[in-house]
Amino acid sequence: MSSLFQLEHLTHDYGQHRALDDVNLDIAPGTIGLVGQNGAGKSTLMQILLGLNRPTQGVARLFGQDVQQAGVELRGRVGFMPERSAIIPGLHGLEYVALAGELSGMPRREAMRRGHETLSYLGLEEARYRKLEQYSVGMQQRLKLAATLVHDPDLLLLDEPTAGLDPDGRNKMLSLIRGLASRPDKSLVLSSHLLGDIERVCETTIILDAGRVIGVGPMDDLRSSRPSCYTLRWKGEADGFLDGLREVGVQLEAVDKTSARVTLPDGKTTQLIFALAHRHSISLTALEPEEENLEAVYHRLIGRQDNLNEVRSDRATPVGQEAAS
Amino acid sequence: MSVDSVGFRGWSEQLASPWLASWSIARTGLLLVLRRKLFWILLGLALLNFLFMFALIYLKAQLSAQNPAIERFVDRILTSVTGTGDSYLNFMFLQGTVTMLMLAFAGEVLVGSDFQQGGLTFYLSRRISRRHYALGKLLGIGMLVSITTTIPAVILFIEYGAMTDSLTYLRENWRILLGILGYGTVMATVLSLVLFALAAWLQKTVPLVMAWAALFVLLPVLGRILSRVQDEESWLLIMLWRNLRLLGSWCFGSVDAGEETELIGWAASVVLIVCAASVAAIIPRLRAIRVVQ
Repeated sequence: MSSLFQLEHLTHDYGQHRALDDVNLDIAPGTIGLVGQNGAGKSTLMQILLGLNRPTQGVARLFGQDVQQAGVELRGRVGFMPERSAIIPGLHGLEYVALAGELSGMPRREAMRRGHETLSYLGLEEARYRKLEQYSVGMQQRLKLAATLVHDPDLLLLDEPTAGLDPDGRNKMLSLIRGLASRPDKSLVLSSHLLGDIERVCETTIILDAGRVIGVGPMDDLRSSRPSCYTLRWKGEADGFLDGLREVGVQLEAVDKTSARVTLPDGKTTQLIFALAHRHSISLTALEPEEENLEAVYHRLIGRQDNLNEVRSDRATPVGQEAAS
Repeated sequence: MSVDSVGFRGWSEQLASPWLASWSIARTGLLLVLRRKLFWILLGLALLNFLFMFALIYLKAQLSAQNPAIERFVDRILTSVTGTGDSYLNFMFLQGTVTMLMLAFAGEVLVGSDFQQGGLTFYLSRRISRRHYALGKLLGIGMLVSITTTIPAVILFIEYGAMTDSLTYLRENWRILLGILGYGTVMATVLSLVLFALAAWLQKTVPLVMAWAALFVLLPVLGRILSRVQDEESWLLIMLWRNLRLLGSWCFGSVDAGEETELIGWAASVVLIVCAASVAAIIPRLRAIRVVQ
C-alpha cells in the first residue's frame, strides 16, 4: 500500500529548542491519531506536513511528494482545521467557507454552491448569514470543519477538533469525523490531547514525546504491547505475600486492603503469583488481566522511556529499520 | 459527483491558479472594510471633495458655454479646475489626506486581525503561498487607496474632456491620464507596503493610528523644524507624503530640469528605502505562522 506520509530523519529546531528529533515514520492511509503533551512536537509536525515550516534536517513526503517542493499543490489535497479560532471577523459563515473554497482553487460560483452544501451538511444552514463573531464555540468548530471540507480534500488534518465542546457536541463532532474519514480514499490525521477522541476515531496512533516518536502502530498492537498487568484480590492479611512479590520484581500499586494492581516483570508468568500465594498460605479470590486503554498505553510509554527502543522496534515501522530488514 | 455513504457530496474538478486566490483575498479585505460604518463616513468625506470638483467642472463648462469671454476669468478664480496636470495632482494630494485617515483605521481590519485572530493560519493552510497572500492583501489596500484617489481623478479627467472640447482635450492630454495612473500606482504601492508592515506588527487600531500619525504628521513637523533650524532642505526628505507628491509631479511631467530633478531622485531613494524596509518587516511576520495557541 502506498504511504500517506513518510518522514525521514526529520528534525526541527527552534533556536536551541529541538521540537522534532530524528523522526522516522512511514504511515499508510487511514485514520491516524497524533498524541502528545504540549511541546511534544505535534504542531511542528503538522506545520511541516502542510509545508508551512521547513525542517532543519530530513525529508517529509505527503502522498509521495516532498512537501517542501510541492507545498502549494499538496495543500490543495489537504484540509486543515487549526486549533486556534482562525476566523475572519466581519465575514458571514457562508462567505468564510466559500473563501476557503476559493483559496483552495475552486471557482467562485462553485465555492459558493459548495459552501451552502457543506454548511447544510454540518447543520449550520440557519446560521450561514450570521457573522462569525456571533457563532458559539461549537458552531465555530463546525464552521472550521466546513471550511476544511469544502474542497473535499483527500486528507483531513484536524487539530483538537473537539476543543471547547460540551459532551454532546463532542460526541456529534467525533461521529461526524469518523464518518467523513471512513469514506474510500480519504485519510485523517487527528491531533488531540483527549485520548478518548483518538481511541474512538483512529485506527493508528502516533505517540510523541519531546519531539520523539515513542510509540506508533495500530491501536490493538499498542495495547497488546503492554507488560502483563492484572488486578489481584485476596482474603486476609497479606503483608508477607506482597513483600515477596516485590522481592521478585513485581510492581504493586495498592487499590485497597484486599486488592492491588500488579505488573509482572518481563519473562514472568502468573505462576509466580500462585506459587508465592501458596507459600504464604494466601487465598486469592481474583486475578484479572487489565484492559489497557490508550491513556494507559500513553502513560506507560511516557513513563518508561528506557524501554523506548523495544517499543519502537516492536511496533513502529521506522523507515530506516524497515529498509534494513 | 455522487453523494457518498455519509451523505457528503464529493468534489474533484480542475483547480484554478493560486494567483487568482490573491484576488479573492483582496476582494474579501475590501468587503470587510466597507462593512464598517466608519469607512463609509470617511469615504463620504473623500467623495465630498470629489463631488465639489465634479460640480465645479460642470459649472465652469456651463459658464464658458454661455459666455466664452468669461472662461479666462473663471480659470483665474477656479484654479483647481484648470484641467492641467497640476490640478489633478493637487486633487489627488488632497484626497490622499482622507485616504491616510481611512488607512489608519483600516489596518486592523485588513491585516492586523489576521495576526490576532488566526486568519493567517486560515489563509496559509490553503492552496496558496505567502506570496499569494501578501499580494492579495497589498491589492486590497491598493484598491482602497485607488477608490479615493485614482478613480475619482480619472472620472474628473473624463468629465473635463466631456464638458469641454471632448475628444480633443482627452487626445491632447493623454500624458495627464498617465500621470494620474502613475501617481495613483506610486501612492497605492507605497502606502500598501507601509500599512501592511505596520499592521502586521502592531495589529490593533490604536497603536496603528499612533504610528501612522507619527509617520505622516510628526515626521513632517519634525522635518520642517529641522529644516528651518539647520537651514538644510534635505531634512524635508523625512516627509514621506511630500516625497510621494514629488514623485507624483514627476509622473505628471511638471518637473523643471536641474535642482528639482535631483530632489526627485532623492525623494525616490527615500521612498524605495521605506518600501524595502516595509518588505523586510513583512517577511518575518509571514514566516511566524502559529498553528496552535
